[in-house]
Amino acid sequence: MFISLQLLHMSVFSQSFSPCGRFLAAGNNYGEIAVFSLSAALSPDASQASQKPILNFTAHDGPVFSLLSTDTHLLSAGNGEISAWSWAELIKKVRVSCSVNFINLILIVGGGDNNIHIMDMETGIFKSVLKGHTDYIHCLCFKEREEEILSGGEDGAVRIWDSRTNRPVHCIEVFKYEECARPQFGKWISCLATDSDWMLCGGGPSLSLWHLRSMSPTSVFPLPGCQREAVFYQDLIMSVGEGPHVSHCLHGGTVKAQIPCTPSSLNTLALNLKNTEHRVMTVGGSSHQIDVFTNFSYKAFSLSF
Amino acid sequence: MSSDAVKKRKPKVIRNEEGTPETKRGRAEGEQDVLVYHEEVELEGRDPQQDYLLYKDTCAALAKLMAEIQELKSSGAKVGSVEMEERRRQCSVHFITLKKLNRLAHMRLKKGRDQTHEAKQRVDVLHLQLQNLLYEVMHLQKEINKCLEFKSQHEEIELVSEEEFFQEAPAEISRPHVTRDDHHQLTLARLDWELEQRKRLAEQYKMSLARKEKIHKAIEQKREYLSSLQPGLQNIMQASLPVQECLSMPFEQMQKQAEVARHLPPPLYVLLVQAAAYGQACDKTLSASISGDVDEAKALSRPPEDSQDDESDSDAEEEQQNTKRRRATVGVQLDDKRKEMLRRHPLSLCVDLKCKDGSVLHLFFYYLMNLNILTVKTKVSTTTDLSGAVSAGELLNSESLLNCLYASDHGQETPNPTNRYQFDKVGITTFADYVSDLGHPYVWVQKLGGLQFSSDGAQSELMGSALSASHMERTMKLLQGRLQARLALHKQFSSLEHSIIPVSGECQHLFPAKVVSGLTRWTMMSYQEFTELGFVQHVLKAGLLRETDLFFMAVVERGTARLLAAVVVNPRYPEVMPLFSLSLHWKGERSGRTEDNLRAMESEVNVFRAELQGPRPGFQLLTNQIQRLCVCLDVYLEMESQVCDGSEGPKEFPREKMCLRTARGPSRLKPFKYNHPQGFFSHR
Repeated sequence: MFISLQLLHMSVFSQSFSPCGRFLAAGNNYGEIAVFSLSAALSPDASQASQKPILNFTAHDGPVFSLLSTDTHLLSAGNGEISAWSWAELIKKVRVSCSVNFINLILIVGGGDNNIHIMDMETGIFKSVLKGHTDYIHCLCFKEREEEILSGGEDGAVRIWDSRTNRPVHCIEVFKYEECARPQFGKWISCLATDSDWMLCGGGPSLSLWHLRSMSPTSVFPLPGCQREAVFYQDLIMSVGEGPHVSHCLHGGTVKAQIPCTPSSLNTLALNLKNTEHRVMTVGGSSHQIDVFTNFSYKAFSLSF
Repeated sequence: MSSDAVKKRKPKVIRNEEGTPETKRGRAEGEQDVLVYHEEVELEGRDPQQDYLLYKDTCAALAKLMAEIQELKSSGAKVGSVEMEERRRQCSVHFITLKKLNRLAHMRLKKGRDQTHEAKQRVDVLHLQLQNLLYEVMHLQKEINKCLEFKSQHEEIELVSEEEFFQEAPAEISRPHVTRDDHHQLTLARLDWELEQRKRLAEQYKMSLARKEKIHKAIEQKREYLSSLQPGLQNIMQASLPVQECLSMPFEQMQKQAEVARHLPPPLYVLLVQAAAYGQACDKTLSASISGDVDEAKALSRPPEDSQDDESDSDAEEEQQNTKRRRATVGVQLDDKRKEMLRRHPLSLCVDLKCKDGSVLHLFFYYLMNLNILTVKTKVSTTTDLSGAVSAGELLNSESLLNCLYASDHGQETPNPTNRYQFDKVGITTFADYVSDLGHPYVWVQKLGGLQFSSDGAQSELMGSALSASHMERTMKLLQGRLQARLALHKQFSSLEHSIIPVSGECQHLFPAKVVSGLTRWTMMSYQEFTELGFVQHVLKAGLLRETDLFFMAVVERGTARLLAAVVVNPRYPEVMPLFSLSLHWKGERSGRTEDNLRAMESEVNVFRAELQGPRPGFQLLTNQIQRLCVCLDVYLEMESQVCDGSEGPKEFPREKMCLRTARGPSRLKPFKYNHPQGFFSHR
């Protein structure tokens, strides 16, 4: 009875696919991380049991807000600490202890102290700090071509940093633009995505597509709630947020489709592009169920914590 | 004389047609005439064969003569010619010869007949004589047989054997010198001896009877004496009762109880013994007593076979009669059969559980004989008057008080699987219809009575008393806990209805000092009403509520905001937490399904049992939950205004709560967790 009570009040905050693309890790508000086997769930003889996690362990005290996969490890961030788990051990369903063993990787962490920290993962030492935001940081993304870091925060500003020199390059205050601003919600930016010259940002202000060279919004998407995550996919933009649906939008600014989902509001969206066999999209939110889309136009089935 | 003789003769003539006229005349003329011609005499002299030849010759001659006459006539000779006359005469002579021969033949025949007749007569006489003799022989044989079969009565008398007889009988009776040779005498002697012995023994018998009578009388006298003692003893017993009470050794009461307990059916007996034992050992306030009709129980224990047969016969007759008069007796018969099947044993057990505050839970246990299950009815008596709480009506309802004492033990269906077949025979579809009359057949009641049915989940090895003993303590504790929890809820409800949330001193630390939102309404709802609410559908889908649960609606208000909370209270409260579902009416309608913050509030109230239950035994759970709900509404309303920038006019709810961050995470939840004693709010 207590377990079903817990499930009733569970929310999924973050997801990440394994480097091989066959497994999905999801983090919830109780601090647990569950690993699901996608190959089992997508196989033709999948059953009720294959929609349950193969491994479920408590990673943090507070909710697991962010999950990130490197080539070998899964990084999870909770309320104050970052833990690293080895994917190899997770796949073997062994409850892991924290182990950090990275080579030549840099982790960029945006924190509640309004700053961005860059950490060298091999040694575990924070190399540098990017200061500039006046309120805590919600989202980060990285432009590989120009090696730039974009960050969005509670103060409503999207800042662009140069990762080589660690200096701020630009600052866009989205809420000051009338097309995007939605004062009834607030000014915070909760989602950022970038694709070469384009940037998506949304949150309190409406989800909007920006051209980075001109630093101006090209299209604003008329989505009712606050968007919490958005990605570029081929020529579509997919975003999730308040409301039980995934919105498919076109670059032009029209909302092409809104696909209904199980949770009443969605927190995270992830696309499994590393593995062509299991090319799925998974979304999670205010429910213990994670919806899996094999064809992005409709929900195929749900994984359950 | 002669005419007489002629007359006499006449019959003879008729008989003997061709009688000789000559002979008769001869006789008629004079019988002195000895020389009468007797043709019969002649008969002996003649030879039949010759007569036969003569006859043939005569016929031939006659034929020849006739032919000659014919010739003559045909040759034209005239009639009356000499030859013809000659021939005619000859013919006549031949005719006479023929007549004589005919007479002779007849006479021979007569003679032969007479002889035969005579011989036959002789034979008949002899035959008769033979028959007579044979008959006599048979008669004599029968007589002989009868004599041989005759059983004298004396053979039925069992006589002592011969040796014994010779040994015992005195000489004048036995007379050995005679009897040894003569069997008849021996038997007579033996009979004599037998007669004498019998006379002697009859004398003895009479004497013994007389003695017996005397002894009987003596016994009667002594009995009377004893029975006169009885009232004296009763008086002594009565007098000793106060002494017993004084010394708190209720021997008499216990004896009486034990006496009655002998007539209890086995499951009730087990229950009584175990309950009394538990009461003595662990809980002095528990008391068990027997109530009901002992005589009926005694009557039941004696199975009257004959009276049953009589009953069935008279029933059959009655039925036949009834079918002629009334139509629908099938229904009446079925009804009777049902009543018979659901019959209770006349004795029932009453167990009283007392709680610390003085309220008592009365449990009445009944045994259904044909179904072999125990049922229980309850009654609660409290020291204080329980009134005023409208919503608490269902709490102490005897029908549902003991629902789900153990998980999913609803007590609506009989736990005995054989009852299914019995019910089919009399057309009972479900036991639930009779539960209000007969009591609830909970599984724990069966276990306390030592009845184990194979459909129970856990197959334990215990049976009978051991089974009862293993469950007694836990069940009694659960019962007491249930009563106390319900009473506590009752009290809490009466203050909730007055819009006061009773928070005890030990739980004050869970909440900030100032709570502005207040409970304005607390009402009870039915299952129907509850399931129709829109914002509880997720609970229904998750299967977390049953029809046996209790449903309530709480309304918390602050300013223009109105929060509706639908509460599901499981009968096993406080083991199972009540479940809250929220719907907020403030600038539109939101529920836990549409808004993440309300969902977080639900989770704050529903999930954190360890914090909210307060000191053991956790009766503060519900009130703490409601108080926390008010606190969360405060936080929600105050933080809400914070998030919204650019709203016109002053904020309706000024922010008074201290917190570090107003929003966290992608769903931007508010800080609902209260930290004591610093007094600020944070996120979980």
